[in-house]
Amino acid sequence: MTATETHCPYCSLQCGMRLEGARTPEVVAWEEFPVNRGGLCRKGWTAAGLLRHRERLTRPLVRDPATGELAPATWDAALDLVAGRLAALRAEHGPDTVGVFGGGGLTNEKAYQLGKLARAALGTSQIDYNGRWCMSSAASAGTRAFGLDRGLPFPLADLERTDVLVLVGSNLAETMPPAARHLDALRERGGRVVVVDPRRTPTADRADVFVQPVPGTDLALALGLLHLVVAAGVVDEEYVATRTSGFDDVKRSVAAWWPERVERVTGVPVPELRALARLLVDAERVMVLTARGAEQHATGSDTVLAWINLALALGQPGTPYAGYGCLTGQGNGQGGREHGQKADQLPGYRMIDDPAARAHVAAVWGVDPDTLPGRGRSAYELLDALGTDSGPRALLVFGSNIVVSAPNARHVSERLDALDLLVVADVVLSETAARADVVLPVTQWAEETGTMTNLEGRVLLRQRATRAPEGVRSDLDVIAGLAERVGSPVPFATDPEEVFAELGRASAGGKADYAGIDYSRIRAEHGVFWPCPSPDHPGTQRMFLDGFAHPDGRARFHVVEHRGPAEQPCADYPVHLTTGRVLGQYQSGAQTRRLRDLPDSGPFVEMHPMLARRLGTADGEPVTVATRRGAMTAAARVVGTIRPDTVFVPFHWVGANRLTNDALDPASRMPEFKVCAAVVRPA
Amino acid sequence: MSAHERLVVVGNGMASVRLCEELVARGYDGHVTVLGDEAGPAYNRILLSAVLEGTHPLDALVLREPGWYAGHGIDLRTGARVLEVDRDAAEVMLVDGTRIPYDRLVLATGAIPTLPPIRGLVRLDGSLHPAVHTFRSMADCLRLLGAVPEAGRAVVVGGGLLGLQVARALSVRGVATEVVEGTDHLLSRQVDERGGAVLERDLRRLRTEVYTGSRAVRLTDAGLRLDNGFTLETDLVVLAAGGRPSTALARRAGLYCRRGMVVGRHLESVTDDRVHAIGDCAEHAGRAPGLVPPAWEQAAVLADHLTGGDARYDGSRTVARLRATGLDVAVLGDPERTDGEVVEVTNPIARTHRKLVVRGGVIVAGTLVGDLSRVGLITQLYDRRTVLGPHEPGELLMAERPPGDSSTLLPDDAEVCACAGVSAGRIRACASLEEARTTTRATTGCGGCTSAVRDLLGARDPAAV
Repeated sequence: MTATETHCPYCSLQCGMRLEGARTPEVVAWEEFPVNRGGLCRKGWTAAGLLRHRERLTRPLVRDPATGELAPATWDAALDLVAGRLAALRAEHGPDTVGVFGGGGLTNEKAYQLGKLARAALGTSQIDYNGRWCMSSAASAGTRAFGLDRGLPFPLADLERTDVLVLVGSNLAETMPPAARHLDALRERGGRVVVVDPRRTPTADRADVFVQPVPGTDLALALGLLHLVVAAGVVDEEYVATRTSGFDDVKRSVAAWWPERVERVTGVPVPELRALARLLVDAERVMVLTARGAEQHATGSDTVLAWINLALALGQPGTPYAGYGCLTGQGNGQGGREHGQKADQLPGYRMIDDPAARAHVAAVWGVDPDTLPGRGRSAYELLDALGTDSGPRALLVFGSNIVVSAPNARHVSERLDALDLLVVADVVLSETAARADVVLPVTQWAEETGTMTNLEGRVLLRQRATRAPEGVRSDLDVIAGLAERVGSPVPFATDPEEVFAELGRASAGGKADYAGIDYSRIRAEHGVFWPCPSPDHPGTQRMFLDGFAHPDGRARFHVVEHRGPAEQPCADYPVHLTTGRVLGQYQSGAQTRRLRDLPDSGPFVEMHPMLARRLGTADGEPVTVATRRGAMTAAARVVGTIRPDTVFVPFHWVGANRLTNDALDPASRMPEFKVCAAVVRPA
Repeated sequence: MSAHERLVVVGNGMASVRLCEELVARGYDGHVTVLGDEAGPAYNRILLSAVLEGTHPLDALVLREPGWYAGHGIDLRTGARVLEVDRDAAEVMLVDGTRIPYDRLVLATGAIPTLPPIRGLVRLDGSLHPAVHTFRSMADCLRLLGAVPEAGRAVVVGGGLLGLQVARALSVRGVATEVVEGTDHLLSRQVDERGGAVLERDLRRLRTEVYTGSRAVRLTDAGLRLDNGFTLETDLVVLAAGGRPSTALARRAGLYCRRGMVVGRHLESVTDDRVHAIGDCAEHAGRAPGLVPPAWEQAAVLADHLTGGDARYDGSRTVARLRATGLDVAVLGDPERTDGEVVEVTNPIARTHRKLVVRGGVIVAGTLVGDLSRVGLITQLYDRRTVLGPHEPGELLMAERPPGDSSTLLPDDAEVCACAGVSAGRIRACASLEEARTTTRATTGCGGCTSAVRDLLGARDPAAV
């Protein structure tokens, strides 16, 4: 039987798996792959269920102006229609009238080609992607502190060899279950695990120390811990003096964060705060990892910087088995942000307003650097501008289900409806595709080959294991077809390996340098860590050991202050609402909600028994959650594991993001998914 | 606001620093002069007892270096003692004769310790007896720290928040310490007798003797004599009998003062709206809380007002926390003088006393002594004025139940392995862990269910595992 080594279609762990059987592939364990050693969660085990799914799109759909319904069309008709409409709009309104919206689940090749489509073929600055809503706050903070952002600057397995592991706003036991094995291994070795979360999650159940702050106060918690580290006199002075800059101002700024003040802001009792500080102070190696819980805030990048400050003061980043990392969320959340989908970046993490970067990439593409557009709008700002006088009138969407995943989703849906042309490339008729004028059916995961860069910065090869259904084209084909039809001055390759080689050239010399990586190396080495500038370079498993990526080699401390969530509870909206994921579902659920083997009991409203009693409701009873932006109704799930002043709604279904706040982080432009003010009543 | 308003701030304590920070953050374009009578930079006064206790180094207290002021165009003058405010001339006069004109004046002069009527405290020349200490400033703290190594015994006069913090700090430093409190229980301004009794037992357990209902009347070479006839032998006497707003300047300038300088919603004097007061020296709506958070809220409101904003000060919700190792106390608002329904739980055996004062479902005051496990949540509900259900105050005061976990009692349809979606029944149907792994994939994902799976298999047949 044929078996293809490939990777799971879901989260950033990119677990290795084998697919057996070309016609009806079945998932089997790939024990040798180091990240997950054969382990998978139920999403991975059931992933093949979508390959021959009855809801698969196999023909382009075009909305019939007469009936308003989507009707099948040929590829030529659909692509000609799109190109024709784009040409007309561009003629009337200029190149920025076309927006492009990508995704953190797209392969590196697709992400790269999408950026090239926007900049080289369409000439638009208006491109961004849903990764902006994933780890952009950590990316922004990492870049400012270390000069470079790679989610984990070390292999995931290093978690097992630290002394104290602090997880801030990560529920990895449910969002990337095989990663949780590292927590157990660390604890067996005698290390300690700390979890910071407003909910006592299954991850928190596996921790030695659990603190449960008020949503939106992780920053104040970090300031308070640094205050105690300073007070204990255990700042690593030599490290701070030789490897960092800016500590004095940070030290002064945390003088005002004494424990009782932190307690009042965060709701974490002083004894717990002191115990946690003591644990950090006594440890030789400390590793701090943030995830969406800390990052998806209007103060997300400052929150990450506050935790980085703490790690730096303890002398940890850039030393073995210690430091700071971000647990990226989406499958290619890492690679997707490196190669040109971001409004401000060109491939290889090059900044789009850097003349040298523009010259390099333009040369690879074969265009004049002056023709490349500048910085565009960030994801939410792009959506917010759709159909307005100054915003795009057409939007091309690849690998994103905006209607479910955008904050303030009702408003965003209105903006999508205000467009002259919405084109969505997807595998199934997602909620966003259902609103499109043209829907383009594309290949998925096991039907195509491409590289993904997992949360460790390890570039992986997802290999094709089966044939795509008749009528479906790869995104690379679709992009090339559109580029050609809009009169692109340069050719677009459709073979993934060829695209990857071009991507390598475009990234060469950039911060995320892939120039030395090729498909055969990835196969032979179980992935290659970037930066890898040349074929004889071994790849970079651990970064910053010899210095940080700023020109002077030093990490930067940054003074950050707690501002709190943009929206505070009040008399009308008295509880905090936070959102997140459940084990059995992935992101907007476009894939996982269609799999019968995955549990889908719909959204729910998690609340503490005290709150349920106050509201006069009980487990399983319908309740309505409302915010200033919208409302949804779902069953109450009454659990003692959540803060009594907070409710939680998973975001895999339409509803949660009608509630969420679109306040943006000033640096990362991350929306505040993780906290807003809400009212709950029995429905 | 004129473009070059001259703003003079008297005082360089926590309220003053905060005002400067808030003005800088808001882009205030007037010219600011700060007059501080202490020699050094502004520091975090409330951590002085932590320095005394040894849990905090002195150098980590500094809030803003002089360079920060200079960098933001603020004229900071330390060691500048103000003699007089001349409102007619709109000038501040320093003791060295310097006159500084102002368009607006902010008094942030803080509070001064109250000296209790004890004979022998003050010598004929007006100076304090060498064994006597106050505890308000960094200089006080340094002087007391200097005296500690030679001291075998100490008496703290005053059983309020500061007195208890100082007593614990001295005790932690190895000084045999006793506390004298004139009222009939400790912390009598904040908590009731039961709360005070719990604290008294705590202190005794920590080997600090407590004399309540007794006043120190005379300091002699033999020691400190109390009105009950005892004489406490001691090397140190620390006066912590409370403080009062420092209003001497304001009073002399004819600004209306009661306990503090009386201010309105823009922290302006009711006598002269060009003069403001913030922090411990200000009295708003009959209250002068003497805590940092209200001072900071006032600073923010005043900065907003001075930069053309419309913020108003309506009073603060206060939480007083005792900062002392081994003593757990939080006081929300003023629980002994606030009207409302009282819900309380006292457990003298466990040395806990907790009380919430509730009005219209909202926690308006509270006391937590001896058990702070819920302090974070309770203060959130208090600060946010959350309307609670009728059972909630009681539930908040009861201890949380420990999470029960007995996987062998799980019903067959309960999910044991979330990664692979395996029920307890399917595990029970397996002969061994290996069979469970291979047939159900339980334990192969995150591995978190391994012990539950073992338990289930073991409960069915201990030999199978």
